[in-house]
Amino acid sequence: MSGRHTGGQHSHTVEGTDPQLYVQVHDPASDAGLRPVLLLHGFSSSSKLNWEDTGWVAALLEAGRRVITVDLPGHGRSGAPEDRDSYAPSRIRADLLQIAFDAGVRPLQDGDPSSGLDVVGYSMGSRLAWEFGATQPEIVHRLVLGGPNIADPLAAFDLVAAQDYLADGTPIADESTAGLLKMAQLLPSNNIFALLSLIEAIKAEPYDPAEAVPHMPMLLVAGEKDDRAATMPQLAELGIKAGSMAEQLVLPGRNHTNAITSRAFKQGAINFLAV
Amino acid sequence: MSNAIVESGATVRHGAEEGGPGENGREQLSMQQALNRALDEVLAESPKTLVFGEDCGRLGGVFRITDGLQAKYGETRVFDTPLAESGILGMAVGLAMAGFQPIPEVQFDGFAYPAINQIVCQIGRMNYRSRGTLPMPITLRVPSFGGIRAPEHHGESLEALFAHVPGLKVVSPSNPHEAYHLLKYAATRPDPVIFMEPKSRYWQKDGVDVSHGGSPTGAKVMRPGRHLTLVAWGAMVGRCLQVADLAAEDGVDVEVLDLRWLKPIDAETLATSVRKTRRAVVVHEAPLTSGLGAEVAQLITQGCFDTLKAPVERVTGFDVPYPSGDLEDEYIPNIDRILNGIQRVLEYRRG
Amino acid sequence: MAEISFPLPDLGEGLIEATVLEWLVSEGQQVERNQPLVEVETSKSAVELPSPQAGKVVRTFGRPGDRINVGEPLIVFEVPDDTAGIVGTVPKDEAPKRRVRLSAVLDED
Repeated sequence: MSGRHTGGQHSHTVEGTDPQLYVQVHDPASDAGLRPVLLLHGFSSSSKLNWEDTGWVAALLEAGRRVITVDLPGHGRSGAPEDRDSYAPSRIRADLLQIAFDAGVRPLQDGDPSSGLDVVGYSMGSRLAWEFGATQPEIVHRLVLGGPNIADPLAAFDLVAAQDYLADGTPIADESTAGLLKMAQLLPSNNIFALLSLIEAIKAEPYDPAEAVPHMPMLLVAGEKDDRAATMPQLAELGIKAGSMAEQLVLPGRNHTNAITSRAFKQGAINFLAV
Repeated sequence: MSNAIVESGATVRHGAEEGGPGENGREQLSMQQALNRALDEVLAESPKTLVFGEDCGRLGGVFRITDGLQAKYGETRVFDTPLAESGILGMAVGLAMAGFQPIPEVQFDGFAYPAINQIVCQIGRMNYRSRGTLPMPITLRVPSFGGIRAPEHHGESLEALFAHVPGLKVVSPSNPHEAYHLLKYAATRPDPVIFMEPKSRYWQKDGVDVSHGGSPTGAKVMRPGRHLTLVAWGAMVGRCLQVADLAAEDGVDVEVLDLRWLKPIDAETLATSVRKTRRAVVVHEAPLTSGLGAEVAQLITQGCFDTLKAPVERVTGFDVPYPSGDLEDEYIPNIDRILNGIQRVLEYRRG
Repeated sequence: MAEISFPLPDLGEGLIEATVLEWLVSEGQQVERNQPLVEVETSKSAVELPSPQAGKVVRTFGRPGDRINVGEPLIVFEVPDDTAGIVGTVPKDEAPKRRVRLSAVLDED
């Protein structure tokens, strides 16, 4: 990996509280002069798993891009606050905005390719990116949404069943819930109760992509076999209706788990964001 | 150990120029090949011999010393161990008590430290403690000394540490011929031997006479001379031979003595050499203070006090932790530092 | 020249195998250290493995969809002899160089 990076617990308070988010800013060895790229990982993942181990950070640095990664609350090296409010998507978006400004992001200005911010999300990170793009048009330049879904699969998560299962092993009837919990439990670094708080918070703030649609150009990317992203065309349709330029890229043979390392995905994103 | 991939992942195929028998029955072998041959023969000759250590089995050793031995003798006699040196040596103790002749390896000098308790408190003493009923016929192979630009723990010289422990024997070969014969000899001793392989000399080929080894004990004059004795062991022997050639250009006839056995030290051969030359410089990579050079200097002084023309000079590493590869050439005695040591002895005048 | 083989590294989290998704290098290709070699998928995630060293790719093991156990061969490089297989480098055999000259009156008293 080229370039130096600085990491640390993000300590800037937002609305009076410290979000305890772990933020890293990676500088390229040779800067292309373009705006930074913010990477938003998926549920039960982390910046390391979603973006570093998969080669994304290295590929973006190689392309001369400055990269900002953040571990979402309860994930990776970020803290796992007790209060549910810390996990609310709206609160996370506020934290992301603060992180972007702390990293030196400036509002978009015509003719200045270093102004603004590009955002790449995967899965749950795509939901956050969609909403972030819709609510922050002054700074978001382009979006890349990987494994996106028109509905948040976490909204249908059966919290009671999950809690019963964790308490006494009662089997979970809902297949999606069982799958998501299993995925979350696979990684010892996950704080499972923090992740359940996140799901609870998401249920309280349901995802409605039609309610706020980003207008900036977007690239939607999913594996051909990605069941969780089967509704990608509908999401693209929403964007187009709202006047966005929405491109779609389907990765042959890939599914929700393994689309993320795809070279075609990375190259597609790098090319899409290189304007 | 952090560099696990590099240390455990490598397999090497060497070039085709395997040394066949040359003139005078000497074969051209690298020290790697000579040690491999010695282990092969010891394994074939004694079914009680076992070879083990980190990567010694399937991989054949990071330096290829045990290459092919597992395939030939099976996984019960040549095998990999976990990354736990105290366990490797602890197992060697138990195997020795059960009648085996273990030849364990610690992958690098610096990794002998985690096994010091087993080496000092068990291997060195078990024969004594058991009144001779539990000898420890263990040969511990330790790739040793510096010179390969390796990271920390991969360039240490532990001979003084081991030589200080009662019950241990310590030996270091200086070339492929010595390596072959000394390892074969060490592996068949009833006592524990610390076998220090000079890793910077693993690759250089030289003649090995497998049928005529000469005496496997004591020190050995590698080059006779009249004016001064250079005493060295391991990789420093080769460097001292180079220095002797250069000194000859200046009219100084240097004898080079390969000490070979660092415990017990062959005081007789040492004294015989210096009684003749009346001047001595001892060269080692280890730090100066309490290094083995002090012991050598005292033995020379005791044996040759009447005829010595100057105090015995020491040219050694410095009293600092072994440095990174970039500073290695400054740390290990180089040709000029050895020549300066010789000059100091030559200039010395009494009174 | 020597060959140096790298096994599928320990991917952490107790994983014992991985499935090859796509090779990013081909046999005969010269690669640099840290250059992406291959995408593999485990039961937990997909990762891109960077090259542990520079060299020419001699062989790759596993086609897309094949499973490889941790510790089994993944790729073989061809490297110059003196960079193969050890920690550190093989010292060069160089002619001895000197700056110091000896001067002595070797009176045989």
